[in-house]
Amino acid sequence: MPALRIDGLRKQFGGVKALNGVDLTIGEGEILGVVGPNGSGKTTLFNVVTGLHKPTAGSVTWGGTDMTGLPAHAVSRAGIGHTFQQAMCFPGLSVLENVLIATEHHGNRRAGDYPWTTPVELLDFVGLSPLRDAVAGPLPFGSLRLLGLAMALAARPALLLLDEPGAGLNDKETAALAGLVKQLPGQGISVCVIDHDMTLMRALCPRLAVLDFGTKIADGPTAAVLADPKVLEVYLGGEL
Amino acid sequence: MMFHETTNVLGRPSAALGAILVLVAVLAFVPEAGVSSRIISLAITAAINVVVLYGLSVLFGQTGILSLGHAALVGVGAYTAAILARDFGIGFWGALPIAAVLSGLLAIVVGFPSLRVSGHHFVILTFALGQLFTIFLTNGGAFTGGATGLDLQLPTSVLGLPLDSLAAFYRLSLLFVALAAVAAWGVANSRYGRTLRAVRENEKLAGSIGISVGRQKVGAFAVSGLFAGVSGVLMAYFLRHIAPNQFASFPSIYLALMLMIGGARLLFGPLAGGILVSFLPEIFNLDPVESRILYGVCLIAVILLLPQGVVGGLAELWQRLTATRHANPAAVAPHTISEA
Repeated sequence: MPALRIDGLRKQFGGVKALNGVDLTIGEGEILGVVGPNGSGKTTLFNVVTGLHKPTAGSVTWGGTDMTGLPAHAVSRAGIGHTFQQAMCFPGLSVLENVLIATEHHGNRRAGDYPWTTPVELLDFVGLSPLRDAVAGPLPFGSLRLLGLAMALAARPALLLLDEPGAGLNDKETAALAGLVKQLPGQGISVCVIDHDMTLMRALCPRLAVLDFGTKIADGPTAAVLADPKVLEVYLGGEL
Repeated sequence: MMFHETTNVLGRPSAALGAILVLVAVLAFVPEAGVSSRIISLAITAAINVVVLYGLSVLFGQTGILSLGHAALVGVGAYTAAILARDFGIGFWGALPIAAVLSGLLAIVVGFPSLRVSGHHFVILTFALGQLFTIFLTNGGAFTGGATGLDLQLPTSVLGLPLDSLAAFYRLSLLFVALAAVAAWGVANSRYGRTLRAVRENEKLAGSIGISVGRQKVGAFAVSGLFAGVSGVLMAYFLRHIAPNQFASFPSIYLALMLMIGGARLLFGPLAGGILVSFLPEIFNLDPVESRILYGVCLIAVILLLPQGVVGGLAELWQRLTATRHANPAAVAPHTISEA
């Protein structure tokens, strides 16, 4: 049984159909990659699932519960976490306080078995402990990405949506991030990740879904999807 | 809590509270020094304003929401006190909780529709609320006393002892300044305060980690309303006569001005702002028109030069001086000053 089930999801902004009837499932303990050209609807998909946008039509079901159109904080408390494309933080607060705040609103899910219960443990996990007292705003981009991950994990998700976690990172940072993300299914956290970095996606995701103009055009094992002529045509310009 | 509190320019955050309580205790002896009644009256007015300002510091300093209609919430407190005394014989202490709750409730009623809009739009809505409240009071007939307002006859007393001297009321006002400072400090240094700061810093991110941004904003508005209600009761019992124009938009703008001049994020800010703005015309011997010009100039100067207010500016200066001495490594969270 899939953890998250998306059925016929549509989102229209005026005349633009950002999502045009997307069906997608994410299984428990899975790392699913979502790729597609710019403007294909990847981020909109995340925004609709996480409650930042209300869908025009379709449904989002999470562990059997209908989540369609719930506000962002309710989605988070139900166990769907996400990180943002723009590497967000609470800029005027310290790194530790950023994570501390995020640990305080998880709605007591997984009280017994969650691997990181204190902000310090989360900072240790992502490797930001040395910067715990630094102000978050001026941190280098790579550290902000890690902080975003620590904060999302602090909210105790069972599914984590990562929106371009590798954007703006160098190869070493990307590899470190991939190492962290790979550990998440083992801790009971499914992952859905959007990124353009094919090296990262190949390394992370056994399964890949491809969006184009708000429609899913492929979904399956990564190698098969990347060899699909339709995918090569629309996304990769005909060759890989 | 395992959380390690970072030290800052004022020592631990509790040091600022300690310093304020000591200062208030010292100020309580000012009447003994033979200061004129005029100065004591000004000081009472300042203290009554400082109580609202601590509430506004929760709203603006912690949550990042500016209200230009807060005098209306003070007005709810003042009119509640006057009407309770007139119609039910309920005195000062009885009026306090009722007024605080009513002001808080009005804040919730206004906050729900208003906080759906953000930033400038909300500021304009609160401004309109202030005007609307004045119109309501002016047209309230015998209930609100119309444009003339209401008189308040009941004496103020503590444990049966009447507070009939100016010095006694001054000390009572200082007690409420101390309580307001403790309450604001309690909010800033709690989980609740952290939640409000999260909303201030990044609403989208706050929502993504499970914080109901709308509810927190309305809640902060209501909390600031509690302070305003208490301040209104003090004001009614001090002035003994209240009228609609005391709670219109101009007094609201003055409150915002005091907070910005003092600094909204620091525990010393409301105290400094309230005292400075109340006493500036007296110190420089200015008439009302001149003092308004001076306030305008001060506000522009503060916004341009001292975005954290006078106290924030001083703290930053101190930090720079000590930083050069200790060659302090760069990024040790200066935000903790703001919560000091």
